[in-house]
Amino acid sequence: MEGLLQDIVNGLLLGGLYAIVAIGLSTIFGIVRLVNLAHGDLMILAAYLSLFMVASLGISPLLTLFAIIPVMFAVGYVLQRFLLNRVLGKEMEPPLLVAFGVSIIVQNFMLMAFTPDARSLMSDLSLKTFSLGANLSIPVLYLINFCIAIAVIIGLHYFLQNTYMGRGIRAASDDPYAAKLMGINTQNTYAVAMGLAIMTAGVAGVLVGMTFTFYPHSGPQYLIIAFGVVVIGGLGSMKGTFVGGLILALAQILGARFFGPGYQLLCGYVVLLIVLAVRPQGILGRG
Amino acid sequence: MTTLLAKIKWTLLLALTLGLGTVPIWGSEYAMLFFMLFCIYLALAQMWNLLAGYSGLISLGQQSFVGLGGYTVAVLSSYYGINIWIGVVLGGLASVLLALFMSLFIFRMKGVYFAIGTWIFAEALLVWFSNWAYVKYGSGLFIKPTNDLSMEAIYYAAFVVGAGSVALVYILLRSRLGLGLMAMRDDDQVSATLGVEVFRSKLYCFLISAFVTGITAGIFYVFQIFIQPYKAFAIDWTVKLVFMVIIGGIGTIEGPILGALIYVVLSQFLAEYFSVSMLILGGIAIAVILIAPKGIMGTLQEKLGFEVLSPRRY
Repeated sequence: MEGLLQDIVNGLLLGGLYAIVAIGLSTIFGIVRLVNLAHGDLMILAAYLSLFMVASLGISPLLTLFAIIPVMFAVGYVLQRFLLNRVLGKEMEPPLLVAFGVSIIVQNFMLMAFTPDARSLMSDLSLKTFSLGANLSIPVLYLINFCIAIAVIIGLHYFLQNTYMGRGIRAASDDPYAAKLMGINTQNTYAVAMGLAIMTAGVAGVLVGMTFTFYPHSGPQYLIIAFGVVVIGGLGSMKGTFVGGLILALAQILGARFFGPGYQLLCGYVVLLIVLAVRPQGILGRG
Repeated sequence: MTTLLAKIKWTLLLALTLGLGTVPIWGSEYAMLFFMLFCIYLALAQMWNLLAGYSGLISLGQQSFVGLGGYTVAVLSSYYGINIWIGVVLGGLASVLLALFMSLFIFRMKGVYFAIGTWIFAEALLVWFSNWAYVKYGSGLFIKPTNDLSMEAIYYAAFVVGAGSVALVYILLRSRLGLGLMAMRDDDQVSATLGVEVFRSKLYCFLISAFVTGITAGIFYVFQIFIQPYKAFAIDWTVKLVFMVIIGGIGTIEGPILGALIYVVLSQFLAEYFSVSMLILGGIAIAVILIAPKGIMGTLQEKLGFEVLSPRRY
């Protein structure tokens, strides 16, 4: 059982990263009832933007967040306002397929602009660890990911609960007609919500880029992780998203430990399919 | 008037089908390649359309059946020396079994959940096949035909699935099952009240689509000779099918035909630049959803009030 504790700690810390990968997808599904299939690709786009800034300015990837956050907010806002809002309606298929198209366009754009080579956002944090006892050490980068993830999730929760705009977004989500009667511009609130969601995706993209290598085609992999977290945790609950992230990451890390590293992803998928079949509303979901 | 129109229509259709079926006799080698790819994409697109356009099942996991069909042929031909065409049919049957197994999980999900559930299945298969020693991990398998195989034979096989898929969907939609499907598409609950077995009809469509997709993929990989998990189980397959059907016209029989033609033409012109052709297709598909959600054929039908292959009986 040597190293089991280490694996569990790593799994829990990785779970925080998975939660921030998923929080944008979960939020936008809860508010606009839209599964943004381009979520993962926009994350990777943020990672490339950060890489571009790191390479040209020579700053730490974490500092690029100050530019990434507003840029990704704008990307999300524009995407929703001028594209997705037009296909929102009773049926879920058209927005799903539009988002799918956006995903393919972003992916192939990155392939052309940044070549298919593996990239990563290197920094002096990459290899640092600090040890707790003889056989337990904590990778600094994982800890930073975890803390930023918690901060972003709490911040988003606070925004939606306690600000005027946040209340407007929730009202537009609960009942668009009543919200309109109360003088809320639902088109604008949806766009702001998507801006926030893509903003969290941007933060997640930078963190993922600092932690793992990424390719133009990495997006779908993270989309599936995000979806898995949302399904396991249950929709519409921030706590659920967090717990879902922890469970998925633990399943992957422990799967890699017991069956071999090749099966890391497979174990995650199997847990996900079992939850979907047995408890489709998620572990913490209502209903 | 209508009978004359119908006569002209059927004569034209027959002539087109005959022309497509005899390409190896009159066409160049390039024409044969072109129309073979067209037939293969036509069959795959028609099957995605059967699910998305008529049964309300948006599948993002057609590549599961593509990969399994291809791998069945590869394993049977190179490990057991089984005749390649028997392998192709067995690939279709294997896909049906997989679809049955998948349905245990994903038929509990609806709409978007179904879409992502099928995709996750395909991703799981990709990981599994690339970690499976029996199929030589990610490095792939060669397909070794037991007997000499001419390009013509592959072409005729592709023609059979291409034209066959159109005929199959046409007959299916005019059958009891098809009428039920269209009632379901318009209103799930009302049609259930009227005696349409919603669950069973959807399952049949899913199984049929898996079978044809598996066989078609088998033929494609007989032509390709080489199969790898990263290509065979890639989401790219479904991406292409979605774009073809949306541009051509979702929920019409003619739509996938036009969509497959547009795709093959575009991919021939931009063969060196796969990314560019995907960018263009993605752009066109989004524009079509925004401007004419029924696609090219659907919009034409609405404007002209004339369907070439109408699923309606009257």
